[in-house]
This record gives sequence, C-alpha cells and structure tokens, in this order.
Amino acid sequence: MFLVKLSLKNLMRHKKRTIITALIIAWAIFFYITFDSLLIGMNDMVFQNIIDYEYGHIQISNQTYWENKDELSLDNLITNDETINNKITEIDRYQNHAAQLNFQARLNDGVNETPVLGRGIRPEQTFDVLKYKDYIIKGEVFKMGEHKAIIGKRLSDIMNLDVGDYITLLTKTKNDTLNTIDAEISGVINTPNPNINQNLVFVPLDISQNALNLNNKVSHYIVRLDSQIFNQSIVNSFQKELGEINSNFGVYSWRNLDEVSITKAKQSGNVLILIIILTIAAIGIINIVILAALERMEEIGMMKALGLKEKEIVYTFVIESTGIGIIGGMFGIILGAISVYLFTKIGIDFGAFMDMDMTQYGIPIISKIYGGWNPKTFIYMFFFAVFGSMLASILPARWAAKKDPVKAIYRR
Amino acid sequence: MALLKLKAIKKIYSQEKIEVAALRGIDLEINEGEFSTVFGPSGSGKTTLLNLIGCLDKPTSGKIYFEGNYIANFSKKDLAKIRRKNIGFVFQSYNLIPVLTAYENVEFAINIVDDISKDEIKDRVLRMLSLVGLKGLEDRKPNELSGGQKQRVAIARALVKKPKLVLADEPSANLDSKTSEDILEIMMKMNKELNTTFLFSTHDPLVMKHAERKIEIKDGMITKDERGEKVNVFS
Repeated sequence: MFLVKLSLKNLMRHKKRTIITALIIAWAIFFYITFDSLLIGMNDMVFQNIIDYEYGHIQISNQTYWENKDELSLDNLITNDETINNKITEIDRYQNHAAQLNFQARLNDGVNETPVLGRGIRPEQTFDVLKYKDYIIKGEVFKMGEHKAIIGKRLSDIMNLDVGDYITLLTKTKNDTLNTIDAEISGVINTPNPNINQNLVFVPLDISQNALNLNNKVSHYIVRLDSQIFNQSIVNSFQKELGEINSNFGVYSWRNLDEVSITKAKQSGNVLILIIILTIAAIGIINIVILAALERMEEIGMMKALGLKEKEIVYTFVIESTGIGIIGGMFGIILGAISVYLFTKIGIDFGAFMDMDMTQYGIPIISKIYGGWNPKTFIYMFFFAVFGSMLASILPARWAAKKDPVKAIYRR
Repeated sequence: MALLKLKAIKKIYSQEKIEVAALRGIDLEINEGEFSTVFGPSGSGKTTLLNLIGCLDKPTSGKIYFEGNYIANFSKKDLAKIRRKNIGFVFQSYNLIPVLTAYENVEFAINIVDDISKDEIKDRVLRMLSLVGLKGLEDRKPNELSGGQKQRVAIARALVKKPKLVLADEPSANLDSKTSEDILEIMMKMNKELNTTFLFSTHDPLVMKHAERKIEIKDGMITKDERGEKVNVFS
C-alpha cells in the first residue's frame, strides 16, 4: 500500500506534465469515441437507407434465386398466391409486405439505349413497405394495368427524360424470346438511395409479368416489420414455418445482405485508428516514465539501497502511469460523451460543407449525419487507456529499476 | 564477533580500454557496535569501499563476509535482502523523496521490512524522529526543512529498521560545523543506545576526531588503522 501511496504522490509531483500527458490520452479517446459514434451514425443511416428504400426488413425468395440474385434470372421464381401472402402476414412484428419482380432490361428512348434494372411492383404495396411516397419529385405513381413507368432522377438526367416521355424496355422472356414494354413516364423519383435513382425503372407488376410471360410469378417479397432492431429469431422461426409450405423458400434479413457485410468490414478500419491513437498515448507514457526516471535517479538509487526489489520499483512507476491512464481515460470518456451527445442531438450537416446533391455520386446522404451511442466503445476505450498506459510504462520502468544502485545514487 | 570481514578485496573499474583500480587488496574487520571512520583524499577508494560493504556493489576479487556469511557471490536479489534488513545508509545529499513528509520518508524504510505491524511502524517512526530532534516536524516535506533537518530525517530513515550496520558517506559534507556536531552527536547517541555499528567515510576532522576507530585509505589500500577510546566531546 505504501508504494501505491508513493506512486499517487509522484503522480502529482509534476502536475502540469501529468495533466498534459493525461490530456493527450484523453484527446485520443475523445477522437476515437467521436469517430466511432459518427461511423455508427453513418452505418445506421446506410442500413436505414437499405431498409427504407431497397430491401425492407426481410426478403423472401427461392433459395436458389437468392444465391444468384444479381443474375436477375427468371428461373426459380415464386408463385404469388394467397397461401404465401397470408403466411407472410403471420410473421412476428409484421407491418406490411409487397411482391416484386426484378428483371433485366435495356431502356430505349428512341435515340439512346442503356441497361437498367426493371422492377414490377404493386405500387400500393411497395409504397407501403418502402418510403418512396415523399420522393416522387415529378409526376405521379402509376396504377396497376397502366403502361406507365417511374424512373430515377439520375437516370432521367442521363437520358434526358421527363414525365410524359415514352420509353421502351427491351427484355427477354422466360422462354428467351425478345419482348418489349412500352410505357409513358408517369413520375420521377429521387430517393436518398443512389441505387434507386441511378438505374431502376418501376413498372406495374402485371404489365411486367405479361411481358415476360411469367403469369403470376414474382422474384421476391419484401416485408416491413414494426421494429428495425435485428432479431434473428424472427427470421429463424419464420424460415421454419415457411419451410412447411415449401422447403425451397428462404427468409433473409437485411443483415444478410452483401452491402451490410461490406459496411461492417469497413469498420475494421477503426482498428487502425485505434492502433495509431494507442501509439500516441503509449509514446506519451513512455516519455513521461523516462523523464521521471531520469529526474529521480538518485531516489531510485536510494530505494535500491534501502533494499527495494526491482519489481517494487517497476511497480511504483507502473502504478503512476496507470494513474495517468485513469485520469486520461476519465477525461476522454467525459469529452467523448459530450461530443457524442452533441452529434446525436444536433448532428453534422454535410450539406453545409458541400453545396451539392451527394447522392448522384453514390453517397446516400441527404443532409445531416447523426452520431450513435455505443457504450461498449466507452468501456473499451477506458480500459485501453488504463491498460495501455500500464503496459507502455513497463519497459521504461524496468530500464529505470535495473539501474546500477551506485551509478544511480551518485548519478554516474 | 566481527560483523563484517573483508579479505583481499580488489575493485577494478573498466572505462573503455582503461582499467582503474579503486581498491587494491583490502583486508578489514568491523566489529559489532563500532563507531569507525574511513578517511583519505578524494579518489582514494572510500566510497567504493562503503559501496562494497553496503552490498551495493560487488568486488572484482576477494571475499566479503557479513555476519559470517560469504556474500561476494550473492545475487542482486539476495544482496537487496541484506540491505533491506541489516544495512542503513546516510548519503551526503540526503536523497529524501520530495513528495513524502519527514514521517513518510522514515516510514518508507521500515514499511518494506516484513512482519511489522502498523502500530509498531508508527511508534518506531515517531520515536526515531523524536530521537533525532524532529518532534513536531513530522508533517514537513523536505523542501520545508533545513539541510541539517534533512540529514536528521536521513539518519532516522537509516536507523528506524534497527539495522546492524549504518554506512554514512560524508554525512556532514553539506552541513555547517554546528549542524555537523549535532548530527554527529545524534549518531553517537544511537551507537550507544542501540549498539548500532557505524562506518563513515569523511574528510571532516570533527568526525574523525570522535571516531573510535580511524581507518586511513590511500590509493585503494589501507595505510593506517587506529583504534582508540570513543571520545564524547558533547558530554
């Protein structure tokens, strides 16, 4: 206990130095917590974007179709019948659902042609599951049976198309024969999700099914739940129930999407930042221990003369550094908490920095990014600060403790 | 019985390719309760001798016995054990810990010795500070004490664990003559009351005058070893 007392007194021996080192650690923690919070906020926004404008919470499709869903094959589709529609409504936390049919097409406006993703929808269903209503910036939504289409704003800009213009979608039917869908543009959509704006053409589901010779087939269902909190048990239990109807059906949460996996993988970049931050903090600690050891050389010699063991001398320095880590850690999490609080309440307005629509560059940001709370980060960072400081001090403390007592006492 | 016995002790320092012989064959016996001084010119080997006796350093050759135990080949850890329990040091520059009070500086030395209760530690520290004349100054930090008072703290620190041997390296070098006399008086008192063995290195004629045994060292060799009666000029 006496050595702990000595260490704590040494901690306050050079208050300014201790505070500056603690502030370096605090800054590092503050920076990491803030960065992590913004990253969480951005991820949440991206995930919300995916849920609200592209996938819903859950998708149901044929398992084989899902595995190769990017190929937009017209094989392995699902028959859109009452049995499955009724079954879907039984999902725990169910809110609404919509059947969709994705297909490959080439959009031709009579002059130019570009590959697009065609999507047959029941507008009243899809617009309930996905939040498109507020983003029809021109025209209106079509009705079932109408030869009309809604296109994304980016696509309309590229092709110079507007409401009232006619387009032709060149497609291949299930039997590999060519067919076309002629449609008048009834609306232009500009969502926060750049994928929707860039290359998607919505047409009525029945029109697309007829054109593709698919009768009542759809590629998948999208389902909205009344909570965005991911619950794998809902997916698992519905997968089981659905398996009783057709074992080929698969139930997929938005969490299973490739885009989500990639976003999560990007978070590993945090580790690099963490390493940089910890290195800065460690250098601060090593520096302070070496300085302290050089200043206290005669005291170290005296301690050795008194019979203190090397490990006891190391212990005094390690406790002192751990104290700095605790002070820095506490400052850091307080500053971090203030910063995260401000970012979650006020957010950061990227629109103010960049006076342009970032969605056209594939960045799903409309105006503000809000931070997110992650209590684990606070706990981890505090312990990183404490244990990092402790570990960083061991080597310089051992160097000091190993000093020859005679050389230390007489400063030779 | 000899507390300490040195036989043919040599200490050679190597600095790059140059070898400097600090001690060149020392034979010495120090008995329990002696009040002795080692004197000689600067560079004669006094401090080196004290460091070897104090288990702070190891000889290049020769044998050292502490309480009959051969310690020249002891490990650093074992030497630290001997210092912890049996040897007290008083340095010329006091070497007090500035963040600790006078009480805590003395407490530090006894705290690291095993098997002493908190109450006994408190009693011994307060008694020792009182013996060296620092009663009432226990809570002062070194920067609030004079040079003499600091050296008194250092003496109390050296004696509080009741060591068998106290080594003092020029303890009066930084003190005026009056303070030196006071310090010497305290050490003589301790020697008498506690039967602690004292060994000084000094240039100070006052210290030499009152030492029971005077060991002169020149060029790393003992040139004179005189024993006489303890002279107490303070009585």
